[in-house]
Amino acid sequence: MSTFQTHDARILEVKELTSREKLFTLRFVDPEINRNFKYKPGQFVIVDIRGFGEFPISLCSTPTREGYFQLCIRRVGRMTKYVHELKEGDIVGIRGPYGNGFPMETMEGSNLVLVAGGLGMAPLRSVLWYALDSGKYQHIYLFYGTKSYEDILFRDEITHLLKHGEAMNCTVKLAYEVESPSCIYLEKGFAPKVCKGVVTDLFRGEEFDVTNTYALICGPPVMYKFVIRELLDRKLSPGRIYMTLERRMRCGVGKCGHCIVGTSTSIKYVCKDGPVFTYWDALSTRGLI
Amino acid sequence: MRYVKLPEENFEEFFNSLKKWGNVYAPTKQGNIYSFKKVEELSEVSLDYNRTMLPPKKFFVRPKDEMLKLKGKKWEECNGVEKIVLFGIHSCDIHGLQILDKVYLEEPADPYYKKRRENSIIIGISCMPDEYCFCKSLGTDFAMSGFDLFLHELPDGYLVRVGSVKGHEIAWENENLFEDVSEEDLKNFRAFEEERAKAFKKALNKEGLADMLDLAFNSPVWKKYEKICLGCGSCNMVCPTCRCYEVCDLWTNAYESVRIRRYDSCFMESHGLVAGGHNFRPTRLDRFRHRYYCKSYFDPSAGFNCVGCGRCDEFCPAKIEHVKVLDEVREALE
Ligand SMILES: Cc1cc2nc3c(=O)[nH]c(=O)nc-3n(C[C@H](O)[C@H](O)[C@H](O)COP(=O)(O)OP(=O)(O)OC[C@H]3O[C@@H](n4cnc5c(N)ncnc54)[C@H](O)[C@@H]3O)c2cc1C
Ligand code: SF4
Ligand code: SF4
Ligand code: FES
Repeated sequence: MSTFQTHDARILEVKELTSREKLFTLRFVDPEINRNFKYKPGQFVIVDIRGFGEFPISLCSTPTREGYFQLCIRRVGRMTKYVHELKEGDIVGIRGPYGNGFPMETMEGSNLVLVAGGLGMAPLRSVLWYALDSGKYQHIYLFYGTKSYEDILFRDEITHLLKHGEAMNCTVKLAYEVESPSCIYLEKGFAPKVCKGVVTDLFRGEEFDVTNTYALICGPPVMYKFVIRELLDRKLSPGRIYMTLERRMRCGVGKCGHCIVGTSTSIKYVCKDGPVFTYWDALSTRGLI
Repeated sequence: MRYVKLPEENFEEFFNSLKKWGNVYAPTKQGNIYSFKKVEELSEVSLDYNRTMLPPKKFFVRPKDEMLKLKGKKWEECNGVEKIVLFGIHSCDIHGLQILDKVYLEEPADPYYKKRRENSIIIGISCMPDEYCFCKSLGTDFAMSGFDLFLHELPDGYLVRVGSVKGHEIAWENENLFEDVSEEDLKNFRAFEEERAKAFKKALNKEGLADMLDLAFNSPVWKKYEKICLGCGSCNMVCPTCRCYEVCDLWTNAYESVRIRRYDSCFMESHGLVAGGHNFRPTRLDRFRHRYYCKSYFDPSAGFNCVGCGRCDEFCPAKIEHVKVLDEVREALE
């Protein structure tokens, strides 16, 4: 089968997460393909709306839960608008998984600090659930920065972890920018885990053993600089800071050239060398962040 | 390598025999420029050409290419591969193809490229540099692999290097047309190569080029050229190693659609644009510099992404010269 052929996947469920984001639960129509579909947190697929085009989306479910996979898609333009109109039972084409994903095995036994901004929560949710399901990590921190209460992705899951996370070795913290009654209510219930501010404010009061901690970041381009500074201030090694990046992508497999970054000494393809990179990669490859 | 000699008087017969291996494409003169075109007769071919406008990449990564056809609700592969003989390819272009091979044949291989490559025969030919060529500086002035046969001009015919099993088969089929190579031929071959080496007018200083460029990220030279460059992307189209493509689906009628890809250029504003209007290379400066970084990247297993063919200079409407830009960047640093 050709590299660019996509496989039929049926939409099992469509859930509205916010006014812009929907969660699609999918399964391949062919049981064989379904069985063989293995992926890692941080990898992505290419969604094919046949006759309209293709676009890359991170897997936001975890491979520890088999039989289905999930994509959280924000409506931003032509293709994503089309996808938002699809219903349960509809078919889309899928190819992948692509990209390197997070090194979950390397990080076993360590603390994980997940730092998510906005839609960056989608790929990190895969890491979060993988870590919780496998039980192979020491302590998991999730620092999640969101614009407003209405923008919180996976709100039920986040609230559940705010309540019961510690029992699972998981500390969830939330920063919001726009005040609203719902936020204040949340803040009252969970202070100081919930506060007004930006995601870096959530680091306050948290100590972690930098020799045994990995940080995983995903968010809008502007966020990286601030979060990384916070982590470096705490002396976390650039090799322990992972981030997942976005670029325009067409092929997903290192052919079309759109996602190339870097300079004469180091050229990288975000689609196949990434989308997960370490901060060390960013120091040695210009234009990565 | 195996060497045989093709005497001048057998050249046409040899050329005609190639048609049984596929459609023959060779450099032809079209107005003032050269172009690889399908040919029937040797008389149509311009063997003393300097460079074609579009390099041979156009046969493997097409300017516009159908990938998949939507039949019912499923994509079907667009098939039908033409058997081709590319006759008269210069050494730099053979190197260019090998750089493309590295990208397109690396797993997962691009199925279209792979099939076309497998169905092609490459016959190289020696050449004399003009004022734009700087392949010698990059070591791409001589092809050691990547061809089936390579013809080196001699006073009375061609010294032929046989570079592959397929090349060997072609020579075998035409056994009666070839002769053994004599001492005299080897002397002539070496004399030609020496004369050729002396004929280069342009040279690229590639000493520490990759590091030097990396250090010059904020060089004022990029800013100078930002104003001169028209951002037309011609340099990408004609470059034998540029191969970015854009994909889109087109409806051919109410029931059928095709997924096509076509050349894209990193000089286009949309090249680094993502959803929400964020652009990773928003200015002409970013894009100009990016092309030089991409071309000057040194891959330990494939070399530089530039083979020194001189096309980008010859076909740049703003008369920007690749080597001159790099020299200026170097000077500004020293
Ligand atoms: C590795 C990766 C993971 C991603 N994960 C998610 C995710 O989990 N959830 C989510 O909502 N979004 C994700 N995105 C972004 C998503 O791909 C874009 O939002 C989507 O392509 C926009 O398409 P559009 O046609 O609706 O938008 P428009 O703005 O109309 O796009 C115009 C054109 O640009 C193309 N385009 C725009 N942005 C991108 C892009 N980033 N990559 C490739 N082509 C693009 C579109 O295909 C379209 O042809 C991810 C992107 C990448 C690279
Ligand atoms: S061909 Fe010349 S003017 Fe056009 S984009 Fe390239 S460098 Fe700029
Ligand atoms: S950059 Fe210019 S000289 Fe180098 S291979 Fe491309 S077109 Fe030829
Ligand atoms: S998406 Fe095509 S090269 Fe990376």
